[in-house]
Amino acid sequence: MKGMMEKWDNPPRLVTAFLRWFCKSELLEDVEGDLTELFLQRSRESKRIASLEYFRDVLLLFRPGIIKNLTFNYSIIHSGMIKNYFKSAYRNLIKYKGFSTINILSLSIGMAACLVVFLFVQDEQSFDANHQNNIYRLCEVQNFPGTNTQKVALSMPGMAPTMTQEFPEIETYTRYWGWGRQLVERPDKKIIVEHVAGVDSTFFDVFDFKLTSGSPGSVLNAPFDAVVTKETAIKLFGSQDAIGETFVIQEDQYVVRGIMNDVPENSHLQFDMLLSIYSIGVERAEFDSRFGSNSLNTYFVLNKNADLSQMASKFPEYLTKYVQRDNDKINEYYKLFLQPLHAVHLSSSDIEHDYNNYRKFNGKYINVFLLVGVLSLIIATINFTNLTTARANTRSKEVGLRKAIGARRKNLIEQFILESLILSGFATFLAILIVYFSLPYLNALMERNFSLNPYLSDHTFQFSLLGISIFLGLIAGVYPSLYLSSFKPPLALKGFKSQGKKSYSRSALVIFQFCITLGMIVSSIIVAKQLLFMKNKDIGFSKEHIVLVPLNGEANESYAEMKLELLSKSNILGVSASGQRLGNNFHQWGFKVKMDTGVTRMTPSNVYVDYDFLEVYDIKIKEGRSFSKDYAQDNGLSFIINQSFANELGFESAVGKKVGHSWYPNDSLGTIIGVTEDFNFNSLHYKVNTLSMVIHEDWGFSEMSIKVNGENIPEALDQVERVYGQFVKEYPFEYEFLNDHFNELYQSDQQMGRVVTIITGLSIFIGCMGLFGLASISIQRRTKEIGIRKVLGASIQQLLVILSQDFALMILASAILATPVTYYFMQQWLEGFAYSVQINPLVFVFGGLVSLVIAMVTISFHTIKAANANPVHSLRDE
Amino acid sequence: MKYSLGEFEEIVMLTVAVLYEQAYGVSIKEEIESRLNRKVSIGAMRTALSRLEQKGYLESEFGEATAMRGGKRKRYFKVTPLGKKALKEVMDTRTQLWQAIPSIALDFNFSH
Repeated sequence: MKGMMEKWDNPPRLVTAFLRWFCKSELLEDVEGDLTELFLQRSRESKRIASLEYFRDVLLLFRPGIIKNLTFNYSIIHSGMIKNYFKSAYRNLIKYKGFSTINILSLSIGMAACLVVFLFVQDEQSFDANHQNNIYRLCEVQNFPGTNTQKVALSMPGMAPTMTQEFPEIETYTRYWGWGRQLVERPDKKIIVEHVAGVDSTFFDVFDFKLTSGSPGSVLNAPFDAVVTKETAIKLFGSQDAIGETFVIQEDQYVVRGIMNDVPENSHLQFDMLLSIYSIGVERAEFDSRFGSNSLNTYFVLNKNADLSQMASKFPEYLTKYVQRDNDKINEYYKLFLQPLHAVHLSSSDIEHDYNNYRKFNGKYINVFLLVGVLSLIIATINFTNLTTARANTRSKEVGLRKAIGARRKNLIEQFILESLILSGFATFLAILIVYFSLPYLNALMERNFSLNPYLSDHTFQFSLLGISIFLGLIAGVYPSLYLSSFKPPLALKGFKSQGKKSYSRSALVIFQFCITLGMIVSSIIVAKQLLFMKNKDIGFSKEHIVLVPLNGEANESYAEMKLELLSKSNILGVSASGQRLGNNFHQWGFKVKMDTGVTRMTPSNVYVDYDFLEVYDIKIKEGRSFSKDYAQDNGLSFIINQSFANELGFESAVGKKVGHSWYPNDSLGTIIGVTEDFNFNSLHYKVNTLSMVIHEDWGFSEMSIKVNGENIPEALDQVERVYGQFVKEYPFEYEFLNDHFNELYQSDQQMGRVVTIITGLSIFIGCMGLFGLASISIQRRTKEIGIRKVLGASIQQLLVILSQDFALMILASAILATPVTYYFMQQWLEGFAYSVQINPLVFVFGGLVSLVIAMVTISFHTIKAANANPVHSLRDE
Repeated sequence: MKYSLGEFEEIVMLTVAVLYEQAYGVSIKEEIESRLNRKVSIGAMRTALSRLEQKGYLESEFGEATAMRGGKRKRYFKVTPLGKKALKEVMDTRTQLWQAIPSIALDFNFSH
């Protein structure tokens, strides 16, 4: 029998023990059997759910009729004792209101901090969770000559179809080609749709986005098929029932074949409208074998037993076979890798050209959040333990009396653990209330939209919360209960006057606690410094008061006239335009340089600009000249490069050298006319890449940069809008400040900084509450000593020093311990930035001083009172 | 009324009767759940069974033990003659009440 049993899982033993403890013995056998049977049945599907249901069933059995009869002799005592435990716990809570408040409040604040962290982490991890789990995004590591190595989220149109042929592991693919904002025309209206994308017909097979009408397999089969979200359908057609309706984008007519639910907030792909990828000027066969330029995202569904490393080993072979570019060099330039879908949101912070990755977040910060959350909880738990043991005096008589009457040590341990469970239960409840009511403010601060409601009704959450609350109660209660219950009755009854010796374990806990607090203070200072540094660093150009206005269609055609008109306005200081916006890495194109040895190919970042771009952005020329309309060759044949690129080229002077785009014939290259100082056109996480700027008057710009008078921004905006309205009828006026765009680059970092700061503040608060409590106890114990010292002539200042020095020593010790650990972690963090502040050792001194001052101020309430007390009062009674 | 029987108790007894010699904890729970399409907790069911046994409507005896039950025996329930009387009376009372309803009272057609 026994041998057979081991094949099955057992129900949770603790719960069974609980059942056996309360259940009537005559019912126990078959009830337990029934529950075990059900548990085994359920655990075939999921062990976890079966355990939870088992727990629930046992809880539901805890009811009159099942619980052991209380009329038995020994039971009366037992239940009576439990009642008594509750009563004495209650009385103690009420009698020492101050301590109870500190205990419960610090624990609940710690838990609240953890809850907020939990909400944050849960939200970040929910990204793309509803799709099947074997989706991968194709990414590239590019290592072109003359440019920094970079990871790139884009791939070539021809890769998906050809790789699917080559690799049996790939079941299906879809490509996602972001087409940005598009003007959608209906007979009765014109509307701008923000996010339009071209995708393959397999899009709905790969991703689990729900169609409300239309069949997933066929909605995007033919060119000019479209699927729109409900919201877009209502905007365009006035109803969700829009199958078969038509609309026009860029003179092509599209037909709506499917309507889908709006894309949820926690999806890295965000779109309002999907079009067949073969629609705009694309011919199927040519597109499916088009290589060379990386323009879109590719997603694969792999079959279940695909071996990723085996696939990776065959990528070079594939590249040689299909993507012939400089033939033998292809594998030096490109490395392919597959990124799992769940990593796209949280592990893409080192990936560039990642245009279709909404709210991308640095996943490493998730661990930081979890760490600070848990640390704050540890601080709160230490408070609890410390305060309870420190207050042992007040309970010693009770312990002595209980022991004298016949309580065994076990009973006392039970009692104190129960008390601690009651407190932690109370704290949990309070924590939920705190989070519930502070969430609106925290949401505003963290720029999120969290809600506690969906969790409160979730069973897993309820049980985990209950579990955590019990766990904390046990952890915090175990040491005090062992300590208190160890008192010898005669000593305890005598009142157990201060034994004089210090509690080393308590000091150790306080030191540990302050280590954490100090580490947090120092870290948040360093984080704040780095954030400030990024905000204020001289990035080599002026990004203040620049308004960006997109140039679509006719806006582009009338750019020159618009610019003239704008420049005549009083509040507009400069107008320029470019093909790409500052604040990202610019696209990298092939580039030719004529060296002494012949023509070399390189791939720097490239941007095409208007003549006065450098002037409007205040980019400094180091050598040579800026673009000018006076030189005819400046349209297309003059290049301005940055210092990094000049260094890379290695000429003594780069000005005058022959260079050109990769498609220029070798005998008609252009000339480098100037070298600028390096400026950070990309975010400060990255080093300045090599850059080349050029003018192509006929290419048309994508965005206009307008420098406005910073003292009169509203009026300037008004002027811009009116001029725009004169020239552009079709596209409504839109603008963005360049500064806002730059702030977005550091959003992840900013939010991390805020969360760390909030929790640091809370931790300081919790730590202080604990210190406040401890100080009051230790000083109370020394009232007689203080009295005697005072009588013998000690001054108030001397007394203050004597009373404070213990605490000061502890803080000193914690400062020494905290420094190396904090230094290590912060150094790690700063390495994630190409441009970072140095950690100034003084920061640790400062942090130590801050916590010392905070601690001294906290305990001063007690020390000053004690030092000023009249010795007569403390010495009178003995 | 001579015999007191709650609604849930009645269901439990009828199910015990339906299952005849196979009526023990899990089978009763599952039978009720599948026939009546409602959730039954072991706790609620077990208290009802004990109460019915106390009233003398049900009797029980231990059956075999299986490894599937962690080596614990099953407790099989049976309806006693007294239980049968109680059930019958409940049914009779209901039938009488149904018959006493004037035919017009439950004649809901919506034409008027």
